[in-house]
Amino acid sequence: MSLAAAKIPEIQLQNVEMRYQTDAADVLALHQVSLDIAKGEFVSLLGPSGCGKTTLLRLMADLLTPTGGDVTVAGKSAREARLAQKYGIVFQSPVLYDWRKVRHNITLPLELMGVKKSIREDKALELLDLVGLQGFADKYPWQLSGGMQQRVAIARALSMEPEILLMDEPFSALDEFTRERLNEELQAVWGKVQSTIVFVTHSIPESIFLSDRVFVLSPHPGRLSAVVDIPLPRPRTAEMRNSPEFFELIARIRDSFEGV
Amino acid sequence: MYMRDRLLPLFVWIFGLLAVWEAVSWWLLRVAKTPLAQSKLPYVHEVAATLWKYSGTLLKEGGATFGNAGVGFLIGAAAGVLLAVLMSLSKTVEQLAFPYAVASQMIPILGLAPIIYGIVRDEQVSRIIISGYITFFPVALNMLRGLRSVDLPAVELMHSYAAKPWAVYWKLRFPAALPGLFSGLKIAAPLAVTGAILVELMGAQHGIGVIMLRNLYYGPSHTYMFWSTVLVGALLGMASYWLMSLVERLAAPWQPEFRPKGGSR
Repeated sequence: MSLAAAKIPEIQLQNVEMRYQTDAADVLALHQVSLDIAKGEFVSLLGPSGCGKTTLLRLMADLLTPTGGDVTVAGKSAREARLAQKYGIVFQSPVLYDWRKVRHNITLPLELMGVKKSIREDKALELLDLVGLQGFADKYPWQLSGGMQQRVAIARALSMEPEILLMDEPFSALDEFTRERLNEELQAVWGKVQSTIVFVTHSIPESIFLSDRVFVLSPHPGRLSAVVDIPLPRPRTAEMRNSPEFFELIARIRDSFEGV
Repeated sequence: MYMRDRLLPLFVWIFGLLAVWEAVSWWLLRVAKTPLAQSKLPYVHEVAATLWKYSGTLLKEGGATFGNAGVGFLIGAAAGVLLAVLMSLSKTVEQLAFPYAVASQMIPILGLAPIIYGIVRDEQVSRIIISGYITFFPVALNMLRGLRSVDLPAVELMHSYAAKPWAVYWKLRFPAALPGLFSGLKIAAPLAVTGAILVELMGAQHGIGVIMLRNLYYGPSHTYMFWSTVLVGALLGMASYWLMSLVERLAAPWQPEFRPKGGSR
């Protein structure tokens, strides 16, 4: 148990089970998943395709309802947490609205919360600064590269200062160089906003670089097969990616997969 | 650049077409000596002269047609949008309303126009009703497609922020439906004009269709005027389409087809 996990859990899953009923088959997507995530912790859900990591994230976000078990967020149900607007979500694709300029894409959540316009505008500029997109406020999404679009999506998720930031493979569509740079930027952003972050990925180095803890999931049925502490000091640097400790962690996580 | 790339080909086409028209017209009249040659294809310059000479009348009557068609178009479009929203909200409404909407389009306008005119006994109201009736269906259909075109993550994003249903419509579904809505409006606008003209042929006092019909009755001596009214009718249809395209550019300028070509980044 890491120090972080010993505190009061921000997100708690108890014996969560997810079953999909289709005409052809009865699929068990998640089997008996129990885990705790502490407030302010950065954790990754890591696993190959079909291990149920995205399903798990969507259960936490209340975009899906589990067929068994409980999801508790800060002592409440996931649904209550969603209605209390505690979540910021970043999807695999940027999901920006074409008709909104970058700044108005970022302030969408604030509009929905009824925040005053002057405050929204200030917040948009502040966030563009944070994600390194100064001067792009009045561009439309299609005028930006894929990496920049995803940064706008992150800024949007941060605009409402969410308690919990849920990220579903946000960098998987980007090239390796952009991805590593955005990993560093995300770490810096997390240092400033202090949200709890749940990060879904299928990249072992990415999960190690970013997380305090990595939850390793295995497929058929999707289940939690290991929890790996990442004791690397922060802030983590690009050089650490080449350190013996880093490689050792990669090997440990790779060994922990079952039935892949 | 704009001059050379867009306008020049357009002018070449128009003048080329008119030249061929004039030549064929001359050939029918002077070489082939066809009976009623000018009724089949009149001289361009004679039609143009008539257009100019009677421009006042044509403008006034065309305006009456266009005005009524416009009012009917707006009412029909509003009704179409409303029905699309209701159908997108409820499958039941869709299942109830859709067959009727489809069936309504199976009734020939040529038959419906005198019925409507017989009921309301007012040419202006009849024109408005028929134009609205024609507009309604393509607008409802395309708007519904537009409202449904929103992809799942965009909706889930709204859910994740606990957005109210009206906010999901106002901030996501409506803007996303605008391209669909304008497809519908651009199809409907010229049809609404044609519909209004059709009503006028049933017996009315004003409108481009009225002088069209009269000049048709008067026979060969009024051929140039008849052709002028046909041209004005076509121009009204085109104008309505251009107007919708213009409004679309102002209302939904973010669409892919309006983006500058080349170097999108």
